[in-house]
Amino acid sequence: MSANWPERISAFLRSPSQFLCITTSDIFLAEVLHELRDDRASDLIKVLLLSPLLEHPTLLCPSVSVGEETALELMSVFAQCSPKSLPLRCHLLLALTSVLLCSCCVSSHTSASQDFLDLLLQMAQDTNDAQAGAALHPLRTTACDCLRELEACLPGLLSQRLELLSSLRQQENSRLHQAYTGLHALALRNAVYLLTQQKGAGAGDLKAALGSNEGFVWGEGADSAHPNSESHSDLALFSPLTLGPMGKVPSLQTGLDCKELRSLLSSLLEESYLLTSLSQAALLRRLVEVLAMVPAVSPTIFRAQLLRLLGTCKVCLLHTTLLMKAAFTDSLFSAEDEAFLLKRLVGLSQHPLLSTPEKLFYMDCILHFPENRPISSGDESLPVLLTPRLAAALVPTVFNDSVSMLARLNLLSLVYLEEGEEDREGQGGRGLAYLYDHLTSLLHIVENQASREMVVTFFRASFLFLLHFCHVERYSEDLSQRLCDLYLRRTRLAPHLINLADRTQDRLEESGWAVALLRALQRTITEAPLSQLTLQDLRWHLRILARVAEEGEVLQRATLNFLLCVITSSSSALCVSGDWRLGNGVLGVCRRLLLHPSLDSLLTPLADLLQHLTCHYGETDIQDHARLYYTLLTTLSQEKLAGVLAQRGTERGRQAKVRSLSAIMGETEELTSGLTVHQTERPLLRLVKLDKHEPDECKPEHKPDSEPACETESSPGQGGIEDYRAQFQSSSFASEITLQYHLTHIGVHDPHFDKLFSIRLHFDLTDGHYEEVSDISVPCLFRTRKPPTVRLRLKPKQPYHTTLRASAIFTTEDGLSWHSPLADLHVAFPEVFLPLLAPLGWAREKKQRVFEGIWGEICSGQSEGDLTNAATSLFCDQLEDLAVGELVEKHFQRYLVSDLDKGRCKVLFFLPPQSHVLLKVITEEDAVQVHIATDNWKLLPYINSYLEDITKEMHSTQQVNGDV
Amino acid sequence: MSVRALWIISYERGESVAVRFSRRYPTVEQRAKCMAGSLYVSVPEDGTVLQLLLTELGLSDSDKPYMALRDDCLHQQRSPALELHVEGPSGGVLWPVLVFSQGPLILACLAMVDAPADPRPPLASLFSVSQGLTLLAGLQAFLCGSGSKPDREGLTSRLAMMPSILLQICPLGTPLDIPQPGASSASAMPTPAGTQKQPAWKTGVHRGRAVVNVALTEMVRSMQYGNRNRQDLWDVYGTVTCKCEVEGVLPNVTVTLTLPPNGSPLMDVLVHPCVSSLDASVLTAMSVEDCDSSAFSGPYKFPFSPPLEPFRLCSYTSQVPVPPILGTYQLKDDDNQLRITVSLKLHESVRNSFEYCEAHLPFFNRDQMGSVDVKVSSGQLEVSKEKNLLVWVLGQKFPKSREVSLEGSVSFSGELPGPTDPLCTDLTAYIKLYFRVPDVTLSGCCVDQHSVQVYSSAKPRIVTSRELLSSEYFIWNSTGTAPVSSGHMML
Repeated sequence: MSANWPERISAFLRSPSQFLCITTSDIFLAEVLHELRDDRASDLIKVLLLSPLLEHPTLLCPSVSVGEETALELMSVFAQCSPKSLPLRCHLLLALTSVLLCSCCVSSHTSASQDFLDLLLQMAQDTNDAQAGAALHPLRTTACDCLRELEACLPGLLSQRLELLSSLRQQENSRLHQAYTGLHALALRNAVYLLTQQKGAGAGDLKAALGSNEGFVWGEGADSAHPNSESHSDLALFSPLTLGPMGKVPSLQTGLDCKELRSLLSSLLEESYLLTSLSQAALLRRLVEVLAMVPAVSPTIFRAQLLRLLGTCKVCLLHTTLLMKAAFTDSLFSAEDEAFLLKRLVGLSQHPLLSTPEKLFYMDCILHFPENRPISSGDESLPVLLTPRLAAALVPTVFNDSVSMLARLNLLSLVYLEEGEEDREGQGGRGLAYLYDHLTSLLHIVENQASREMVVTFFRASFLFLLHFCHVERYSEDLSQRLCDLYLRRTRLAPHLINLADRTQDRLEESGWAVALLRALQRTITEAPLSQLTLQDLRWHLRILARVAEEGEVLQRATLNFLLCVITSSSSALCVSGDWRLGNGVLGVCRRLLLHPSLDSLLTPLADLLQHLTCHYGETDIQDHARLYYTLLTTLSQEKLAGVLAQRGTERGRQAKVRSLSAIMGETEELTSGLTVHQTERPLLRLVKLDKHEPDECKPEHKPDSEPACETESSPGQGGIEDYRAQFQSSSFASEITLQYHLTHIGVHDPHFDKLFSIRLHFDLTDGHYEEVSDISVPCLFRTRKPPTVRLRLKPKQPYHTTLRASAIFTTEDGLSWHSPLADLHVAFPEVFLPLLAPLGWAREKKQRVFEGIWGEICSGQSEGDLTNAATSLFCDQLEDLAVGELVEKHFQRYLVSDLDKGRCKVLFFLPPQSHVLLKVITEEDAVQVHIATDNWKLLPYINSYLEDITKEMHSTQQVNGDV
Repeated sequence: MSVRALWIISYERGESVAVRFSRRYPTVEQRAKCMAGSLYVSVPEDGTVLQLLLTELGLSDSDKPYMALRDDCLHQQRSPALELHVEGPSGGVLWPVLVFSQGPLILACLAMVDAPADPRPPLASLFSVSQGLTLLAGLQAFLCGSGSKPDREGLTSRLAMMPSILLQICPLGTPLDIPQPGASSASAMPTPAGTQKQPAWKTGVHRGRAVVNVALTEMVRSMQYGNRNRQDLWDVYGTVTCKCEVEGVLPNVTVTLTLPPNGSPLMDVLVHPCVSSLDASVLTAMSVEDCDSSAFSGPYKFPFSPPLEPFRLCSYTSQVPVPPILGTYQLKDDDNQLRITVSLKLHESVRNSFEYCEAHLPFFNRDQMGSVDVKVSSGQLEVSKEKNLLVWVLGQKFPKSREVSLEGSVSFSGELPGPTDPLCTDLTAYIKLYFRVPDVTLSGCCVDQHSVQVYSSAKPRIVTSRELLSSEYFIWNSTGTAPVSSGHMML
């Protein structure tokens, strides 16, 4: 087994869902824990074994209890580890942190998490290796990191230990001081934040908090780490405060008296230089937050660090400076500083030594530059100080990579858009002229066999240009002309052009540029000399013409003439070849023309075209469809035609597509998705058990017997037991139990699945105690309606409890089929019970006779030894008289053969196919005796635990009642 | 301030694509879930992430010319953060996914959005983004090593080290450090217990002879058009790399850069985080605005405490008055034959002593070269094996006149078509120069051995060096159209 651990672990990490199809998470977890305990396994393997727990703790420890058990196991492995196994011990700490946090053990204050916290704190307190020596540095760092993560997930946890954290940080002289600093800064920030939320907190409270050295705070803040807890709304604890002019920062009114905090902050700042850039940036970020919350300390304490930060080559440190500026604006940054910072950002955005992602990030920072006096607070806005002169450093060129080029084009478009507003003629200035020149040079590149990436970039650039400058007709008209010329030379670009038209139409509806482009394309195609037309070009032309035909404003005469020419004059080749795809393309155009508002004027040529296709096209399928269209065209009114074909009409609409297999000529991609059964990622449905003891659910047809109440005194028949046995002659008699469920939605609300149709539920057995279960069909399930009831019929071979695997296949509104797993269905032992199966109208005495008859048989049979399966037993428990009544009413009512009288009654459970369990309940003082007789001794343990369960339940309700 | 997950992907065009390493941070995920509320989208499994990432980067299904998902013009990938569109009922948009790609490696991480998810906060306000970028840049430098392309074996062994490296630099999703490429040298010793706090970026202290090595490298870029209507462009950027072996926990070293009199100031100065303080005047000059002749022009002092490994102390850019080599390039199309005239002139201020100097004349969108009848006034001419490139090897020296020329004609009558390039069609063509001149900088910037101050007990040996290298040095054919390369020329 151990040999294949690396393979298994990597298989798990690659795809946990696939891996857990073969095994279950609890089995896998048990195996992992077992192997971790094995002394023979090497440390390397053990570190590997921890990775599933490190990365997917929620899969392996789905509940607090499993998390707690796993944590206890890991802690004991940690305790028994050789002190030399440092990497293993570090990874154990990390795994413990993950498991405890993700299974909500910490937020539930379990004992394992308390022990773990104590352990971490104890390790962290060994500053300067006083006890364990320098060899344990990694372990100590990891312990600090774990504490920091715990504080991050449960903000405020360490808010009463600030004094300790501060002294640990100050004492430590080795490189580890960084870990202590990070921990201290975070705890400080959270503690100050919590103080701001306290009414009336002031300087005294702050001082007390800084000097506090109590215990962990498992307070309200801690609960919020539970991701499902809805109650906690204070997300500011997890996220940095929204800094900047728009954000509201809570503040702590301390007056001027906060010496302690000030000296603490300056000592942290002084040492910030000793941290790595990443940790330094994080520390500064925390301190900015603290300062923003405590207005009494002036932000000028950052001044000494500022030049160093402005000159840095590290993106994280410069970013911190920008965030500082957003937080403190002109109280820390003068107008010159602001101008300097912006120029610096422009310079960095094109610096030859920086990587592309960094430059892109700086460009993004320009668009969200934290100005001292912001005018607008839009999504992307230019800082006032960014002049066209300054921005010229960032003009796009053909030497840029695609992403940088687009980013620069976007930025410069914004710059020149503003410049253009000042320009009266609205024709844009030299800057705009440059951008357009740039676009045309890209177009030339695309003409010259550019790579696919270049083509895509060109169309993106065109879209971006149009977004900003569509109103400048000089350029937008020229662009559409150039695109048409480009298309004739590179017809393969048809999908790109259609995409560009679609997107501009969506975004710039009023401009009409897209329609103009389509009109121009139509003209280009239809006016080009037919003699040069190749089949390949025609294929693309048909795509474009089909898109053009969707535009009601565009006249379609030219399209039809073109098609007629292609089909009839040069007919021989095309029609004879009978190319299905081409024919399909022609029909695609026709189908859209059938929906065109100017259909009346197109009637004759369209009919001619369709007729020609019907008669001459060398492909039967195309002929058939053409004939169908022809018939539709000539016999239906335009409204009806629209009705028949309408569903295709919304095809281009990017709303929910209506997919239907009956749609004529579905496009291939849609057809495939329509034919595929898709898999939902998580269960969408569940079955909720209906309690059949509720009176409204006890419909007579599901109960083979009638209630004692509605029994009529009629048949005085004798020899109950023989009659009873006779019923079993028919093999199908009482062989089934029926369970009822409600089928409902679960999980996150996804409107896509609000209406489900043709649901087919499928059940798989997990053991051999039952016959195969047949599928159940449910016509529909709407989230807004009452859930439908599902009746599950089970035919036991052995009357034991079982678990069924359930899944559902259904169709959503848009016609897609889905397969979705359901949670396993557990059928408990008492759910198999049926009452005595007596024909309607049997008197109670007769039933009692049957009871006594079976009882007698069992007792005598057992003593004689011929009924080998028979057994009797006795169950006792302390229960008061009253409680016995309640017990009987709650659990035995359906199965009573005699009414409860002086604490005595008789109960009969029939368990299909052939087993009986008979109970005689006798109450004496405060004890209840249940005499049990059964003709299937294998049921005894189940009966016993069943009785234990129900009496335990009685005890607990008694307890509650007693307490009240 | 954290990342939710990290992926390292190897991508070789047309060959294999695979997630070579991935790491998820479930505790960060918990926080992200809490912040995002109903907009939370969980991180899919590696296979799905890979597919989505490739689609977003435009690398998936390279055999299909158009795919709506991949090529939609609405997807404006103009920010460093990608969106991954996760399909399915629990789907949604995963953002921001930061990506670094170099050679066959793609590094990606999903940064945590630690602000309310709706409306989407601007990228620039998310602290985790700059943290993620720094982490990825560090990982890339570590995995790719010094060269631009990592060798397979080296990469595999470095990938195997990832778990233990992440244990140190990003154990629980919050990046703490970046991996040190040259793992601590043998001379590094654990720090003795003392009162001085040891910097977290220093793994130990140096023991032994003190040596300070300062190397200055300048790269010169140029675009020369030989056209009156278009201004030629050139600029210089330089880096100062140090390796300091000095004793002490926090030793002080100061390096001073000086310029000759009338030298134009160093601009866009960027410094390593170990620089402890900076004078405001060092940072004032910037390339994006006009230079003020009265601006500060040195000396530039950089006090710092060195880390153990070699590091880039600072970098700068500079506007120099003349390009080191001025050239003209003229092509004439003559019946499937090109007449070529080239002349190159070395500026008198540059020392005429190259380590190497080559001019490359590539030809695109033509057949292979047939007959080559070209004469050079100096150096040798070679034809590449693929017959699409002339290499003019100028050697170590220009002649006394400092001028060289090339003249002749080339016919393109080869059997096979040569390489294509969408930019260089018709007469659009260029010469690219490759050269290295030791012991010279174009800006005149230098580090004087005596200006390096080290405050330590032992007197260190100080080594300084400088060099000039070409980078993107183009001379365009003046008879064809040449692409615009900078915005400054048109304004």
